[in-house]
Amino acid sequence: MTDAALHPIRIDSDKCIGCSHCMRACPTMAVRVRNGKARILEDLCIDCGACLRVCPYDAVESHTTPFAALHDFEYKIAIPTTVLYGQFNDFVTPIEILAALRRAGFDEVYDLSAICELNTAATEKYLKDHPRPRPLISATCPVVVRLIQRRYPSLCHLILPIEPPREVAAKILRTTLPKKLRLPSKAIGLIHITPCPAKMVSINQPATLRKSYLDGAMSIRDIYPTLFRSLSRKRRDILMQRLFPDILFSGTGIGWSLSGGETRGLKNRRTVAVSGVRDTMRVLDQVETGLLKGVDLLECMVCPDGCVGGPLAVENRFLAKSRILRYVEAAGDRTVADHTSLGRLYNRNMLAFDHAVKPAAVPPLDGDPQKAIRKAKRREKLFARLPRKDCGACGAPDCRTLAEDIVRGLARLADCPFVKEKKT
Amino acid sequence: MAGEAVFRQEFAVKGGDFSHGGVVSCRIKDLLKEIGLDDRSVRRAAIASYEAEMNVIMYAWHGRVNLSVSPEEIKIVVDDEGPGIPDIEMAMTEGFSTATTEMRELGFGAGMGLPNMKKNSDSFRVTSKIGRGTRLEMRIRRAGGAP
Repeated sequence: MTDAALHPIRIDSDKCIGCSHCMRACPTMAVRVRNGKARILEDLCIDCGACLRVCPYDAVESHTTPFAALHDFEYKIAIPTTVLYGQFNDFVTPIEILAALRRAGFDEVYDLSAICELNTAATEKYLKDHPRPRPLISATCPVVVRLIQRRYPSLCHLILPIEPPREVAAKILRTTLPKKLRLPSKAIGLIHITPCPAKMVSINQPATLRKSYLDGAMSIRDIYPTLFRSLSRKRRDILMQRLFPDILFSGTGIGWSLSGGETRGLKNRRTVAVSGVRDTMRVLDQVETGLLKGVDLLECMVCPDGCVGGPLAVENRFLAKSRILRYVEAAGDRTVADHTSLGRLYNRNMLAFDHAVKPAAVPPLDGDPQKAIRKAKRREKLFARLPRKDCGACGAPDCRTLAEDIVRGLARLADCPFVKEKKT
Repeated sequence: MAGEAVFRQEFAVKGGDFSHGGVVSCRIKDLLKEIGLDDRSVRRAAIASYEAEMNVIMYAWHGRVNLSVSPEEIKIVVDDEGPGIPDIEMAMTEGFSTATTEMRELGFGAGMGLPNMKKNSDSFRVTSKIGRGTRLEMRIRRAGGAP
């Protein structure tokens, strides 16, 4: 596996001019500017894509599955997030979008709303079977899982051990299709279509599975032009209706990609839905101080308004959200998932994690607590000498981080343009 | 303890400043993580210091939180200037609270503050002078460390 595959977000140093927009936007202080170029500290990065949103020079790249990779498979299945349904104008229906995906080169497309509904039912069952601990935290957003592993390792045990719909769908297809199609499993390509750069990490380094059931994640941004052209040709042919005689979208499931979408379908449960990376951190801080114990399910999505605000989406999230809300309204309480199969899937662990989320805490100032304490003291002394202007000229996002970088041996006090160095 | 490195820091807490409730305990929690203490001790210290911080915000005029951390022990001393606690034994009872209706509406005042601090520390002391203030002293020993 290449480095690019391990971390989907990288900076193109040819395009980067070292302007520091990304450094200021990063919620985990993972960006530094060195020698006029931005650099990501891999240990701190949670793949949220905040840098990607703000770069004025398009220098932050996200590595998702390219279209050409489809040729590796004999039979290709697209599993688009429901975000895709809100990306085109008001007259394009989800069914037409799925048809356009097929015309783009997929042999089959798989609507996730039914699986989302199944996940809601599984969540309900899990909450009922496990009255403690609380609050449980949904594992749908891979960035939240990564954030908890790194910054809130003591909360790992609160992550609801149910795989997100994309993996559940892929697992079901992976189990049933090879027999049905008489093809070896590796000839079948299961591709998630997503506005999220972090899905690539959750596929390459799954936090809760031995191996992901998906083969790749294609960004909405990349596939958009193809779909757009296909849709604008207005090929509302009869064939399309034949191919999708009666796809019914789930009322509970179709809104999952919006903040609050996961919790909406739970009945008589206390739930809290948070979106945005900084607000997510604020709430996780509260959970760590012992609050929110009365909440059954905490849904955190690091993108604003949920997945619909993902950095690799095309349509602005307000319009996309408004369209999806219309589908939610139209679908009402319609259920499409086979709830008799839930018990079977649940008991056969089709929906469960392979293993619990393991903590992967950001390293302390020093492996030896004695030395770490000395470094913490030194950091406070250094910080007191810094101007607290947080100007970023030193290449660190703020003065506090510069002080920390100095004690970690990553920077020097002389990097600060305001400090007249006497002697250190 | 001789020769052991100790990290000390003081934080100010203002009575009535609900919008900053949790800021100090969050700083303490981050510091303890950076020093590399175990998860359990960090969590206990976070909960205990949060409760103490909120007590100052809810009942006192202002207070100071003094943190000292050695590799073996976290010590948190909270001194406030405030009304004091008339009956400490009563205040230590789970469910007992003098919180006003407004505080309860905000979700506080469940009468778990002091008991929670006690539960999450290895030694806990409260002293109070009516009309002057309260002093809380909490020590949390590193999990698996010397008893």
